[in-house]
Amino acid sequence: MKTQLAMVIDSSSCLDCKACMVSCKVENKVPEGYWRNWVKQRKPRFGDMPSPGNFGKVNGYGDPGSMHFQPGGCMHCANPTCVQACPTGATYRDEKDGTIRVNDKLCIGCACCIPACPYGARYRHPEKKIVDKCDFCAKRREWGELPACVVTCPTKARTFGNINDPESDAALLMKENKTVRVINQKTDTEPNMYYVSMTAPADWPRKAESPAPIRWWASLAKPLVWAVVGLNTLGIMVMFGKQLLIKDEEPET
Amino acid sequence: MAKTDTSISRRSFLKWSGAATAAAVTGGQAPVLHSLAYTGKKSAGTEPEYHFSACGMCLNKCGLVARVENGIVTKLDPNPKFLKSRGMLCARGNAGTSQLYDPDRLKYPLLRKGERGEGRWQRLSWDQALDLAAEKLTKIGEEYTRCGVLFTPGSDMQSQFVHWFAEVFGSYNVTTHESNCLLSRNRAYLDTFGEVPFADVLNSKYIIMAGANRFESIITPDSIDLMTAMKKGCKLVVLDPRFTKTAALAHEWFPIRPGTDMSFFLAITHVIIHENLYDEKYAQEKLYGLDRLTEHVKQYSPEWAAELCDISAKDIRRIARELAAAAPAAMIYPGRRTSDYVNSTQIRRAMAIANAMLGNWDKPGGLLAARVVGTAGPELPEAPFYDDNPDDRLDYGRAHLMFDEEGSFKHMRDAIIEGKPYPVKGWFTYKINPLQSVANRRKTLEMIDKLDFMLTVDIAMSDTAWMADLVLPAPSYLERQDPVSGLQGSSACACVITRDPVVPALFESKPVFWILRELSKRMGLEEYFSFTMEEYREQQLRKLPDSERALREDGVYYNPSKLYGIYEGKVYKTKSQKIELYNERYADMKLDPMPVCTPLREKVPSDRFRMVVGRNAYFTHCTTQNNTLLHELMPENTLWIHPSPAKKLGVRDGDTVILSSRSGEGELKAELKKGIRKDTVYMASGFGVLSEGLTNVFGKGACMAEILEDFTDDLSGNMAMHETIVKVARKGAS
Repeated sequence: MKTQLAMVIDSSSCLDCKACMVSCKVENKVPEGYWRNWVKQRKPRFGDMPSPGNFGKVNGYGDPGSMHFQPGGCMHCANPTCVQACPTGATYRDEKDGTIRVNDKLCIGCACCIPACPYGARYRHPEKKIVDKCDFCAKRREWGELPACVVTCPTKARTFGNINDPESDAALLMKENKTVRVINQKTDTEPNMYYVSMTAPADWPRKAESPAPIRWWASLAKPLVWAVVGLNTLGIMVMFGKQLLIKDEEPET
Repeated sequence: MAKTDTSISRRSFLKWSGAATAAAVTGGQAPVLHSLAYTGKKSAGTEPEYHFSACGMCLNKCGLVARVENGIVTKLDPNPKFLKSRGMLCARGNAGTSQLYDPDRLKYPLLRKGERGEGRWQRLSWDQALDLAAEKLTKIGEEYTRCGVLFTPGSDMQSQFVHWFAEVFGSYNVTTHESNCLLSRNRAYLDTFGEVPFADVLNSKYIIMAGANRFESIITPDSIDLMTAMKKGCKLVVLDPRFTKTAALAHEWFPIRPGTDMSFFLAITHVIIHENLYDEKYAQEKLYGLDRLTEHVKQYSPEWAAELCDISAKDIRRIARELAAAAPAAMIYPGRRTSDYVNSTQIRRAMAIANAMLGNWDKPGGLLAARVVGTAGPELPEAPFYDDNPDDRLDYGRAHLMFDEEGSFKHMRDAIIEGKPYPVKGWFTYKINPLQSVANRRKTLEMIDKLDFMLTVDIAMSDTAWMADLVLPAPSYLERQDPVSGLQGSSACACVITRDPVVPALFESKPVFWILRELSKRMGLEEYFSFTMEEYREQQLRKLPDSERALREDGVYYNPSKLYGIYEGKVYKTKSQKIELYNERYADMKLDPMPVCTPLREKVPSDRFRMVVGRNAYFTHCTTQNNTLLHELMPENTLWIHPSPAKKLGVRDGDTVILSSRSGEGELKAELKKGIRKDTVYMASGFGVLSEGLTNVFGKGACMAEILEDFTDDLSGNMAMHETIVKVARKGAS
């Protein structure tokens, strides 16, 4: 069976300590103001605070009304709307391991993929002028290491591995537990990020947006770009393309 | 020990990292500072090197592996063999590279030129700086006796050398971080069990956490073990006026009225005793004073406590029964920072006594005695005796049961301001920031005004450094060789770690060990500092023959010493040689031998609030707020206030409010939170800084130390940081 790298997350273990976010930021040199991963939270429903004769208490751990933290990042989807939105083929599915990658050399920084991702996993790098996102720490994997967010997690909420290998920790965790995925009902991208048993919040992914002209452009440009790759004049074209398309953007605050 | 590659020349090191902007105040030598930023250049593609070290971002000293590429530390990862942290590195640990390459680092010795706090500095050479320091310290010693210099080292692996220097210099006026932290807990548990316990959180079945925020204020292994234990079915009950992340993940959270924890725990003990929920055989063998305690807690029923603490009698009764049913694998978590009320030791005594009734001492899932680590004290020459010195520490006698070696920062400060019983005119601080961390900043400034000479050794221009006469730059933990450190922490370990430089020290920074050696040479004390760090370490490890190999190969050495049952056949180190429910020594001193619940020192008027303080997972006390990576997680502090009182005050979310107390005031943004009691407000520490050398955080938020009044615990002299009543007003409101 083909390799499919994935993350299986037990969000009920998450303390919201942000270690994964800082670890990722250092490893991947993510600039200030941007993140490749995150911890979202479901806010609790509070009762009244105590007053004489009225004693306070909120729903506890695991209750539907309680607080819940949810680590996340690029979900390396099997049905990747970002790949479909990319006009140059820079965003692609790596057939070796099933991850969704961005080829820095092909990316022209047009940012069409950003609204195409329902999870907000992509950002435009303010200095590189290309789109960046989680690659499951590709460089670390080459060195035989686990992704930075996975190793650093105090409670080991994130488990990473090839879910098609029944012996992997990730596959075992999936086998032993019911898992759920977080998607937008209108755009099921089939994420390779699974949450053990349950997770919250679940209603935050947006509908994937891919502007019609871009789809048209993409259908024309992709074969063209790949032809260019074949002709080995890629560098020149990308430089040209960048000059045409790139405008400096202020980083989001 | 980890090998250090010194083959990379400084020139190529600087060249690789490319150009960058010069730093502000402390200036100069900037290129390496931005070496972690994206530069557009590729690395040479050589294989990285890996070094073991121990994190220095907080006091936990978690084992780590530093990755070095072309002479730059590019990543810190947890050492998977370091069990005490359960193989993790938190946000702060991950941000260690940002401390190392911080543009705000101190780079060379600085001498104050203008008024204190004006920020005008003159660069000195190390020789000039050390000559000056030696001259000033010697002069104060001659004029006011050696005790005329106060030493305040922070919690650092080289702080022991500051203690040693103080001893050979001849001053016993040493205060540390501890009297701002956990002395009241230590006092209470020592005076109950004869020892300060470690909590076996991992194996516990029921934990009540009061006045502790373990999921945010990370202590290894407790923070991690707490989640593991909960996954195995342990129940967590949190009492906290504020909805912390620990409260968020607890099975039950009770927003207890601040300062009433004693009533809750006396009522728990009342139920355990009067419903006969304890092990009578154990009680007979191990406990001292049960009859008197039985009589004493009769008055403290759950119904009585409920009126005080805002937790229903039904819940108190139920929790006591659940707790007793899980005993002895059950505990009242002993806490760490227990610097909250004027009766903190007695509050913690009430908790220790409830623990004693659970019979959990020395048992799985309970409170554990210290394990044997096996490191040895180095053989040092006998310190000289100065016969002109005064008889006692400056703060002697200002609290009933102070620890001789720690004293109390607050009492020390008062005594320096008063000049009584004798003058202190010099202050040596190392990696500690009392200007931010100790309540009543104005008094700390007043104390500094009384000094002839203040010397600070630190990594960055903290508020304390900002007020000093001479500021000396220290390297970060990744650039130095340190002694070994023995660590304990319940079932996780009795282990040993150390540090060797992962990269050479940047700029002109020098370890405090080197600084003290150089000072000793200039002050005729060189014979006391004639050892090298290697020799010192060798002595520390002389009883652990396998440790050097383990440290080299695994980055940590474990001593498989006994964990449970350490007290079998042994007596307790108390006066009665048993667990003291009733403390005879307290009785002799006319102190309450059992905790007596008294009214709060000050009630909260309806238009005021009690201020509480507490930690989050990003900041270590008042030291990491300016770290670029962590600053992004919390760029400024806010005032947590409940929407209902906020509405009455006309304060909306995000409004700037003026927070004031009898000791000072500050401005910060209001954050409306349903998860805080209506009579309580909260703010994070480390903001509202004085130092312009902290460029990320300067001008942001309000300073906790400015607002807090400086009350202390009567018994231990520990700071009491929850005794301050504050006023909140919207800025611009009449």
